[in-house]
Amino acid sequence: MTDTSEPLVFQPAPSRPAPSDSVGFVGWMRANLFKDIPNALLTILGAYIAFVVLSWVLNWALFNAVWEAENRRECLDLVGRSGACWPGVYVWFENMIYGLYPKDQVWRINIGFALLIVWMVPMWMPKVVSKVQIGLSAVLIYPFIASYFFMGGDKGLVWSAFIALSLAGLICVWATAISETMTGKSIGNWIVTKLGAENDSEAKQKRIKQIAAAILFVVALLVVSQWSLQEVRTRFWGGLFLTLVISGFGITFSLPAGILLALGRRSDLPVIAMLSTAFIELFRSVPLITILFMFNTMLPLFMPAGTEVNQLLRAIVAVCLFAAAYMAEVVRGGLQAIPKGQMEAAQSLGLGYWRTTTLIVLPQALKIMIPAIVGNFIGLFKDTTLVSIIGLFDLMNMARAVGEDTTWLGLFIEPFFVVVMIYFVFCFAMSSYSMRLEEKLATGRDR
Amino acid sequence: MADKKKMIEVINLNKWFGQFHVLKDVNLTVRDGEKYVICGPSGSGKSTLIRCINQLEHHQEGDILVGGVQVEKKGTNSRLIRAQVGMVFQSFNLFPHLSVLENCTLTPQLGLEMPKAQAEDIAMKHLKRVGIEDQALKYPLQLSGGQQQRVAIARALTMQPKIMLFDEPTSALDPEMISEVLDVMVELAQDGMTMICVTHEMGFARQVADKVIFMDGGEIVESGDPESFFAAPKYDRSKAFLSHIL
Repeated sequence: MTDTSEPLVFQPAPSRPAPSDSVGFVGWMRANLFKDIPNALLTILGAYIAFVVLSWVLNWALFNAVWEAENRRECLDLVGRSGACWPGVYVWFENMIYGLYPKDQVWRINIGFALLIVWMVPMWMPKVVSKVQIGLSAVLIYPFIASYFFMGGDKGLVWSAFIALSLAGLICVWATAISETMTGKSIGNWIVTKLGAENDSEAKQKRIKQIAAAILFVVALLVVSQWSLQEVRTRFWGGLFLTLVISGFGITFSLPAGILLALGRRSDLPVIAMLSTAFIELFRSVPLITILFMFNTMLPLFMPAGTEVNQLLRAIVAVCLFAAAYMAEVVRGGLQAIPKGQMEAAQSLGLGYWRTTTLIVLPQALKIMIPAIVGNFIGLFKDTTLVSIIGLFDLMNMARAVGEDTTWLGLFIEPFFVVVMIYFVFCFAMSSYSMRLEEKLATGRDR
Repeated sequence: MADKKKMIEVINLNKWFGQFHVLKDVNLTVRDGEKYVICGPSGSGKSTLIRCINQLEHHQEGDILVGGVQVEKKGTNSRLIRAQVGMVFQSFNLFPHLSVLENCTLTPQLGLEMPKAQAEDIAMKHLKRVGIEDQALKYPLQLSGGQQQRVAIARALTMQPKIMLFDEPTSALDPEMISEVLDVMVELAQDGMTMICVTHEMGFARQVADKVIFMDGGEIVESGDPESFFAAPKYDRSKAFLSHIL
């Protein structure tokens, strides 16, 4: 035994670099593609299959395809079935996007959707703080102005007021975005400062903001009243446009309604819990197609004679209710994943039910539910093809109409191929965005 | 001591989970500034007892008075009660999606309706008290267990409670981190806070407790000042328990 008074000093061994064949591209290939002989064979087989499929598709869609023809006969005479016949799709393309919407009015649809993008742009601007408010306004008040662009027609005073609200909202969103980017202040505070009232009482400042908002609304109302668009009946709506309208309503309605239903189902109040459960179970145990039929054919029977509910509206309501029931169960799953301790901690800090729910439980639950929610959105987006059953000409139905046109009789594969691409683009975009969102929200959670 | 205000009074408390009788005729009086340590085997009802005090569990029979206010059995006045009682949990229960500072400004901003700047001052004051002020902008999961528990204590203190309840605050911690949490609790005790701690840290009990309560089977088996309890427990059950943990 040594008898030193100095304690031994522990020296951790230095780290050495990893062996060179286990890192980098070569290391990755070796570990994942050519680990052993069966693995290598599978890799080669997979590459071969990918090559065959891809070359077949490219040959059909590009190299052997016909690009100019008057009708399907010409296509068949040129290349038979070995190449695609694109002119038919080209002729019908506008209808696949806009349905039977009058050609000279199609700009309204473009503007309507462009407005949504304009509305959302500030949400991606780095210095903008009020992103939640902007997002909420896009969901809650953007639809009015878009609906008017799409529908047009006479607008009474009430309808004008809603459209003016939308317009004022859009102006507010951009004023907020600009003032927050330039000065770091909210638009309300910027106005207050410009008027030299920043040292006044809070009540007075609030008053100024209210007056500014009122002035903006009145101006918007004046603008709206000076402006009108010819009516386009919803039976002319169709194509991708109709698909986006139906799924847009379904998506924006289903999440908040689903959250409320899920909270209702877990509620301590027996009546609310029972009603929510009954609604969810009823709509979940019936196929969407049945619900669409019910709403389309049976609802008018129960309505008083003479009242007519627009067919599109009936389809939208059916889709919304169905989607809400599904979303409710997704949300409930997320809510159940939050440990009970979180709620107890919030309660013990004196937060009530709504604050506990909105500040503690939902933010955490929604974050873990993003993949499931977006999965539901994507499912809903594709499910809207079912409205073709009740005679609405959505993207899918429009594609089928191409092959029923006498000039292009039997031309089904090409339009469906385009439909597949369009659906893929939208669904893949949703999916990628959700992944990005997940990554972004995950910061701060991991060590 | 006897003339000090009664902060908590538990009178003939009975509670059942379904058919299971978890608390049987429990009586307890805690006066202003007193520190109680509750120990006992798991399942003895000690956590349930303190959870009844701030209404995380509702009792079926008996009375609980917090600061002289009767706790309603159905929990109708639970927010009034909880405003006076801070609670620290075994599993910390910090809100992982909020930063440490936001965890601590939540109650002052919402419950006490302070402006943000003032709430942040208060939060920082308490974070400093537990020695976490330089981690204020981090998220809870970026901290060690001991640090998280100290944040949880600071968060409970931001309500400016009159009573603090601790539910096995060190049981989920690595041994190296227990002392940093106990130090904070000792300091709090020395500042005169009324405390009820469910814990098996007998060193802590010796150091600060006015009274140690031993529970088993939903009943208070015995209670006494720490010196006599540890030196000469009266019941065989307490003796057996102490022989296991000491």
